[in-house]
Amino acid sequence: MRWRPVACVVLGVTAVVCSVIAATAPPPPSPAAPSSEASFHSVRSYADVAEPVRLRIPALGVDAPLTHLGVAPNGTIEVPADFAVPGWFDQGPRPGQPGPAVILGHVDSKAGPAVFYRLNRLPVGAVVFVDRADGSTVDFRVRGMQHVAKTAFPTDLVYAPTLEPSLRLVTCGGPFDHSRSSYLDNVIVYADP
Amino acid sequence: MTPAVVILVGAVLLAGCTAAPSPTPASAAPASAAPHTEPMPGGPLSTTAGQSPADVALQLEALLGQHSVLVADMMRSRIRNDADFAQAASTAVTRNTDDLTAVVKAMFGDQAAMAFRTTWSEHTTAFFNYARGIAANDTAARDDARAQLVKFESGLGDFFAGASQGRLPPAAARSALTAHVDHLLRQADEYAARDYGRAADDYRTAYSHAFGIGQTLAATLLPPDEAAKLDQPSWRLRSELDRLLGEHIALAVAALRAGATESPDFPAAAASLDQNTDQLTAAMGALFGPAAGQQFMQLWADHIDALVGYTSAVAGNDGAGRQAALDKLRGFEGKLAAFLDTATGSRIPSAELASAFLHHDQMLTEQVDAMANKDYAKAHELAYNAYQDMFGLAKQLSVAFGDTVAAQLPQGGAETGAGGTAPR
Repeated sequence: MRWRPVACVVLGVTAVVCSVIAATAPPPPSPAAPSSEASFHSVRSYADVAEPVRLRIPALGVDAPLTHLGVAPNGTIEVPADFAVPGWFDQGPRPGQPGPAVILGHVDSKAGPAVFYRLNRLPVGAVVFVDRADGSTVDFRVRGMQHVAKTAFPTDLVYAPTLEPSLRLVTCGGPFDHSRSSYLDNVIVYADP
Repeated sequence: MTPAVVILVGAVLLAGCTAAPSPTPASAAPASAAPHTEPMPGGPLSTTAGQSPADVALQLEALLGQHSVLVADMMRSRIRNDADFAQAASTAVTRNTDDLTAVVKAMFGDQAAMAFRTTWSEHTTAFFNYARGIAANDTAARDDARAQLVKFESGLGDFFAGASQGRLPPAAARSALTAHVDHLLRQADEYAARDYGRAADDYRTAYSHAFGIGQTLAATLLPPDEAAKLDQPSWRLRSELDRLLGEHIALAVAALRAGATESPDFPAAAASLDQNTDQLTAAMGALFGPAAGQQFMQLWADHIDALVGYTSAVAGNDGAGRQAALDKLRGFEGKLAAFLDTATGSRIPSAELASAFLHHDQMLTEQVDAMANKDYAKAHELAYNAYQDMFGLAKQLSVAFGDTVAAQLPQGGAETGAGGTAPR
């Protein structure tokens, strides 16, 4: 009967509990100080994560202040007005909060390279620093990179809420449509604390 | 469980601790006992009816997290020489082993489930033996138990590595199980030394780590196309909510039990509960904004204060205080339901939520009553059910939270370039 040895093992903990407590029974630890449940009050304040104010990516020579971004009237994400300044999507988590924080930057302008010009060269393992308004800094390490067509942009993977702190850096790449002055692809960098 | 096993379990439980000491069963045996693992069968995985592989992964996480908490509770009661509590705790550990075995059976079949159950049960018995060694100040017994655990780490690691068909390296599996064992032994040593703060920290660490082992195992045991679903944000959100809300139950039960028995580890247990509240609040703040996070925290704190107040009143035989605490809980349930109804744009009806919170609170207060009455079997059954019950709520909340946030997300790609000079 194949179940028999298994049953004995499963019962082992219960059986041993009875036999060994009765057999050994050393003196129980004496109660320490009186418990304090009567005066207990649950925590009622928490340290919120401060807003991000600056992005630093030493591997790319990026060291720039951050602007705020939201959702444009047409439902797409706003982009920074200044090509030298990246922007944080302020309707999502702050860097270091649970969930994906998203920072966008331009790859170039008609005048030349912009702040995320070399983002597609950022190697796995590179460190990205985000300075926050309270003087704290949170750092992330690049885990991977994805090139996607804008028409197949993975909204879920970039923005959808998880409760794991992470960072996404987004810019443009791929073929350029001169008639529309627009790249066909986006470059997405995924980084974790 | 087969009928024969049920009968044997019943016989042992009925015998209770008043029976003459029984011969040491094979499971309590000597350090030389080797893990009885068998090669896992290959082939396609199956799951229980109505459960997706992603659901099974969540169940594995929850059960492994619960295993950690139940084993720690069992070890602590053995260290306290609290025989009746230890009996109930060990029964809960066995129930958890049954449930874990059912998951393994659903995934890999009877033979694999048998092999798993044998080694897993020996593993839990060795934890008990380690606590016995602490209580008896028997260094040799502790060393023997530790040596057994090292062997089981290896056996279980090989078991899971084999089941993964090469996706989980044996060394990685063993390393995860070694850390699991270390956490549980350390919290027991600290508890015995009355270093309750460190013991509480390791209790939390052990829970989170064991929960994470569930995810690692699922990601490697499931076929690659199913395992890929565990990377989807919706699954990860639900998994994290499961972890936080499951931990809330585990820590609330630990704190309330300590309060009900006026145990000296209450402050440390309550501090752990505060840390969980902090993390839940941070999650709510990230999902719905800082103001919503703060509002949630006030409601949640009301909830915990009322539960602790109830426990204190029961311990002090204060009928009026007990009723006042129940009244506060009824108020909390409606307020939190209304808050979440608003936060999620009525994606979960307020009445349904209030009912779920009422059920949650009733299980917790009834287990306090059971503790006060020294009905430890009932207390453990209620706590076990309260823990499992939380995952149904977490599923509803994660879907509502995800949908609420998704409705506000930008769509499509970003227009972050205009020059046509980007490096390729």
